[in-house]
Amino acid sequence: MSSDPDKMMSKADKMTKLTLTRWSADWRGATELYEQAANGFRASNKYEKAKVALEKASKGQEMQASPWDAAKHMESAAALAQKLSIWNEVADFYRKASELYVECGRAQPASDALGKAARALEDVKPDDAIQLYTDACEILEEDGRDQMAFDLYRACANVYIKLEKFTDAATFFLRLGVAADKCDATNSQCKAYLSAIILYLYAHDLQQAEKCYNDCSQIDAFLKSDQCRSASRLLTAYNEGDIEEIKKVASSSTVSNLDHMIIKLARKLPTGDVTAIQMNTNDDLDEDDLT
Amino acid sequence: MTVIDILTRVDSICKKYDKYDVDKQREANISGDDAFARLYGAFETQIETALEKAELVTKEKNRAAAVAMNAEIRRTKARLSEEVPKLQRLAVKRVKGLTTEELAARNDLVLALPARIEAIPDGTAGGPKNTSGWTPSSTTSRPDIKFDSDGRFDDDYFQESHESSQFRQEYEMRKIKQEQGLDMISEGLDALKNMASDMNEELDRQVPLMDEIDTKVDRATSDLKNTNVRLKDTVNQLRSSRNFCIDIVLLCIVLGIAAYLYNVLK
Repeated sequence: MSSDPDKMMSKADKMTKLTLTRWSADWRGATELYEQAANGFRASNKYEKAKVALEKASKGQEMQASPWDAAKHMESAAALAQKLSIWNEVADFYRKASELYVECGRAQPASDALGKAARALEDVKPDDAIQLYTDACEILEEDGRDQMAFDLYRACANVYIKLEKFTDAATFFLRLGVAADKCDATNSQCKAYLSAIILYLYAHDLQQAEKCYNDCSQIDAFLKSDQCRSASRLLTAYNEGDIEEIKKVASSSTVSNLDHMIIKLARKLPTGDVTAIQMNTNDDLDEDDLT
Repeated sequence: MTVIDILTRVDSICKKYDKYDVDKQREANISGDDAFARLYGAFETQIETALEKAELVTKEKNRAAAVAMNAEIRRTKARLSEEVPKLQRLAVKRVKGLTTEELAARNDLVLALPARIEAIPDGTAGGPKNTSGWTPSSTTSRPDIKFDSDGRFDDDYFQESHESSQFRQEYEMRKIKQEQGLDMISEGLDALKNMASDMNEELDRQVPLMDEIDTKVDRATSDLKNTNVRLKDTVNQLRSSRNFCIDIVLLCIVLGIAAYLYNVLK
């Protein structure tokens, strides 16, 4: 076997091509050659070629009916594509890898692959990232492993927050709450609900926040928790326009245990809204003023 | 003996046997028809016995006995005070053989009675009550408790003195410091609680993973054991003595056939 990866590649290609002399492709030999070639390319930092070699190796493994190895090669190829910043290839490769993992019946690596893809694309193509995160969560939920989905939900919500789509982020936190409910993870559930309420308040949507609070209060676990009390304090402070109280709640330890993005928003909370609150209280005065 | 001596002796003897003097008794009891006089006489005797008892109490060393006697005196006083109105009613009644001066005198006597009854010492008599302020009425019975104010509870008494306001300030400051300390402790506890519940959830998350690992490792172990056993069997079979013997015997037969052929061909 020559140590020159290019030569190995061409040899392997020849092995897989069907000609008159070759009636069936020798995938096993070809796959081995492809793998070796890929290693060679990686050692010499020829990432593009290594990527191509890995793709072909993965195809070979697939033909050999070993989806696990195929998936592994796909993931490596995707990592290289990430290094080369070829983003749509990154997404494609990771998706393929995830499908192969699902074929193996292993949900966790599948969702991990999608998660890695989403993380890679967060900054560049956030919508794709969100799609990938959602798919990853679905895979886990189907398999009944909701707890692993928490981190994914949180990451997805963070992406939304960066995009300033606060209501979508809040929706994701509520989904986190549902997942947490299924596994009796009450602390995470309560934190998720509190985060959702804070997001609604930050989005200047007091009614939505109150509706959310009322809905969540139906759940026993939330009702008895510290987070519920903080939420109710926050909402009453908002209703009364008491800025000091809002600031106090926002800097309390309950809020400081949430995600750091939410903490940042909470600290900024009242500054978005002061005039609106003032208007609210003035209206009340007019109604009550019967003289 | 002188005449005076005789007179004294006769007097003492008469006094001794006075109670046998029927006439004198009748005279003393001539007021028996008079209900007032009778009742008044009873009153007088009772008051006198009470006074005697009061004297005994002051001499009494045993406190329990003293208390009991005081209680009895008080009971007697109460009874007498109750009966004073009856006496008053009788005093106003006209009885034959009574002059108007005596009637007036009886009234006065009755009026004086309540004061005399009250005057009997029974261990709780205090000074005249003041209408304004309090009196430490128990100082007479407990002389060892001393009041700084001597009973003067006027406006000045309840005013904050310099020392007490200082004390109050210090108390407030310490209370504030304590609250600050408690706030810090509560923050630390909140952080701990959060970390602990996160750890809890993390462990819960890892439980099914561990179960999976457990199953897989069990399977791998049993596979390995199986393989080992089979390998051992195979190796044993290869090295069994029976095979060796068969090999040697066959070898001998082959050598024998070769030797025979060699002999034949030679």
